[in-house]
Amino acid sequence: MSLAYIVRRLLGAIPLLLGISVILFAIIQLAPGGPLDIYAENPSVSKEALAQIAARYGLDQPVPVQYFLWLKAVLVGDWGYSIRTGRPVLDEIVYRLGPTLQLGGLAMIISLLIAVPVGMISAARRGSKLDGTVTVLSFAGISTPVFWLALLLQLLFSVQLGWLPSAGYQSIGDGSFIDRLRHIIMPASVLSLATVASWSRFIRSGMIDVLNQDYIRTAYAKGRGEKAVLFFHALRNAMIPAVTVIAVDFVTIISGAVITETVFAWPGIGRLFMESMDGRDYPMLMGLMMMGSLAIVVANIVADICYAALDPRIRYD
Amino acid sequence: MKTKLTRRVVLQGILAGSTAFATMRVLPTMAQQAGGTLNVGLTYELDTMNTYSTGFLADAQHTVIEGLIAPDKDARYVPVLAKEVPTLENGGIVLSEDGSKMTITYHLNENVKWHDGAPFTSADVKFTWEAVKNPDFIAESKDGTQDIDSIDTPDDYTVICNYNTVKPNFASTLFTFGIMPKHLLEGEDLNTSWYNEKPIGTGPFMVSEFVRGQYVVCDKFPEYWRKSADGDQLPYLDRLVFRIVTDSNTLVTQLQSGELDMAVSVPYGRASQLEGAQGVEIIVGPQLSWGHLDFNFRNELLADIAVRKAVAHAINRETLIRVQGGFPIPIKSLVLPLFDLYDDTTPEYAYDPAAANAMLDEAGFARGGDGIREKDGKRLSFAFVVQSGRADDENVQQVIIAQLKEIGIEATADNKTGVAYREARYSGGYDLIYGRWITSADPVYSTFYGSEGENNGQGYSNPELDAVFERLENTLDADERKAAASEMQHIIAEDLPAIALFQGVSVIAKPVELKNFVPNPTNMTNFVDTKEWYLEG
Repeated sequence: MSLAYIVRRLLGAIPLLLGISVILFAIIQLAPGGPLDIYAENPSVSKEALAQIAARYGLDQPVPVQYFLWLKAVLVGDWGYSIRTGRPVLDEIVYRLGPTLQLGGLAMIISLLIAVPVGMISAARRGSKLDGTVTVLSFAGISTPVFWLALLLQLLFSVQLGWLPSAGYQSIGDGSFIDRLRHIIMPASVLSLATVASWSRFIRSGMIDVLNQDYIRTAYAKGRGEKAVLFFHALRNAMIPAVTVIAVDFVTIISGAVITETVFAWPGIGRLFMESMDGRDYPMLMGLMMMGSLAIVVANIVADICYAALDPRIRYD
Repeated sequence: MKTKLTRRVVLQGILAGSTAFATMRVLPTMAQQAGGTLNVGLTYELDTMNTYSTGFLADAQHTVIEGLIAPDKDARYVPVLAKEVPTLENGGIVLSEDGSKMTITYHLNENVKWHDGAPFTSADVKFTWEAVKNPDFIAESKDGTQDIDSIDTPDDYTVICNYNTVKPNFASTLFTFGIMPKHLLEGEDLNTSWYNEKPIGTGPFMVSEFVRGQYVVCDKFPEYWRKSADGDQLPYLDRLVFRIVTDSNTLVTQLQSGELDMAVSVPYGRASQLEGAQGVEIIVGPQLSWGHLDFNFRNELLADIAVRKAVAHAINRETLIRVQGGFPIPIKSLVLPLFDLYDDTTPEYAYDPAAANAMLDEAGFARGGDGIREKDGKRLSFAFVVQSGRADDENVQQVIIAQLKEIGIEATADNKTGVAYREARYSGGYDLIYGRWITSADPVYSTFYGSEGENNGQGYSNPELDAVFERLENTLDADERKAAASEMQHIIAEDLPAIALFQGVSVIAKPVELKNFVPNPTNMTNFVDTKEWYLEG
């Protein structure tokens, strides 16, 4: 694994991202309606005024020209202005990215902390009552609708017990660590539920596969204890398929969890995307979708690096 | 989410509603208490604090920015920054000799201050017109700017608007939405200005903080220009916080837990959950909105008056109201009964499926094997659009589908959201569409049913009706307007481009301690007059 490899992968991603941007631009244009629909039928906005607005956003140009104008600006770091709010696209995304990363990051940490031991124990005690219980709970977790679980938690912890705020990112005029923590606990728990369930299943099946390998029997034969075998010999190998799933889920988290964010009034990327989609806010949508694409590329590279770290036999050069 | 509409006429489906409460205001015997914070839930993703460019009803904005005049609880205009509402009688409106143009004069209050302390003058009014009219300014609400040729400001407190036409509805546009400060905004690009975050107004509250996706904090403006009748400095409340909570379940939960004090648009289906919530009072009142089922005239089957009339007889309003928590009020005319222009003699189509069936039999539509009628190989089968995600509207749709099936008409749900919905709505991408319009205090009905009406997506055109609109909408004479409005209501009921079903209400949750709250039924929202609200106890 070398730095040169990573640089080469990143450079290789450039034509990919360019291709993606062409497709995204075309798809956005194909969707019915456009950002100026609001004005088109307004008698107080004359045809000339409408043309002027369109020209301001370059919307009067043919689509390929619009694309190259967009690309030219983006290459020098100008992502344009949101048509909906009049604010720079990059500012809006950066502002929403913080809450999304906090929520997604915490949810991932919770998921890992629970999914790894649960998956390992179920695999080690395969067929036991414990394994059966975990399996049932996992499927229940995967199948539980997010909004329903969220509502139950809100009713219990906010309405009945009054322990936690039911929604929002912070209290007005507070925003201390404790205050933020109180706000993030419920959405992060809800968001991690489905991931815990699916990750623990992947880790379990990976572990079962590994535990049947000869080198595990060798490790036991050498006289190593069960814990040592599970942690030092089995887990690393079992994590390799799980890393792929985690990388994909990471992208989902960056793209924002629309339902969780909406239910918990969390000011994240997912809600921003929904608003922008509804208003056909072209510059905003392009910014958001390109960011999502970049996240996929990066997550894939990181996953590849993790493979090599977990399994020394895997080498890139 | 924005609508393709002028602000006069706002698609209620997507927007926060407001309501009227047709009761007398009871004057409290206790002295009003100053202080306190009110947490209000906003159910939409607030885009900008600029009242002219927001795609939503300007709830939060109206606490900060004031207009020259504003509609009151009965949808009648009262003076705000102007000393009186201009009328023909008080000389505020002067018609040109040939009656084709008008001049409107506003006399302004003299002790009004902007939030930065600068005096408010006639120059600000003229600037507002120029700024909104400016084609570079991308605004949702430019209504009325083109009707004015020029504005004279002979002194700091007199504004003379020279109209190039006669507009009976001048009050519902432009200066009513709010005035912008010239001394701060001259030369600013209003599309990207700081003003969209923290507008400076003359209102009782000023914006302290607007955090996107989270909340707007509006604090009391201590130098507000108005005092109460008892001489108290207004406003009474220290702080109004608007929290963005777009999920209706969460909205209700937060009202139950006390994190929110107030919400002005509780979905009908959720209102019962708030019964018994401590300290929360539910207020229900009419709203300047009506639910309507529209026909697309491009479909030749629906262009047949017999089919439209049969549909009208097939609909049972009582059931439709029941699925909406019993809240809406049945109507027969698109002019709501609280308006002076309402004509009670407008004919009504009673719920009578037998008559509906007979009409269709007579028109030659025979039932096929599946119970759906057809004639010459053409089935009475229609695509039925409502805005998806609106639970109340979707419930209404399901009931209408069932009721139409009774008379052998098949309607299939084809619901859409956002721009796709609007696209369908305005370009006629439907056979049947159910929706709700919410209007200003003086609705312009030609926008819905005039041949050139900007909200007429139905392909409906009736020259006789157009002529009536022409008379109705270009005169200031009250008697003539009333006569034309009656004629309009009769023609629409006869020709049936749409069926007016019920008047909307809005369900407001407010704290029991909040006093002097008077619901406003117009598109200027419940927050158009917050200065006298106070918390008791």
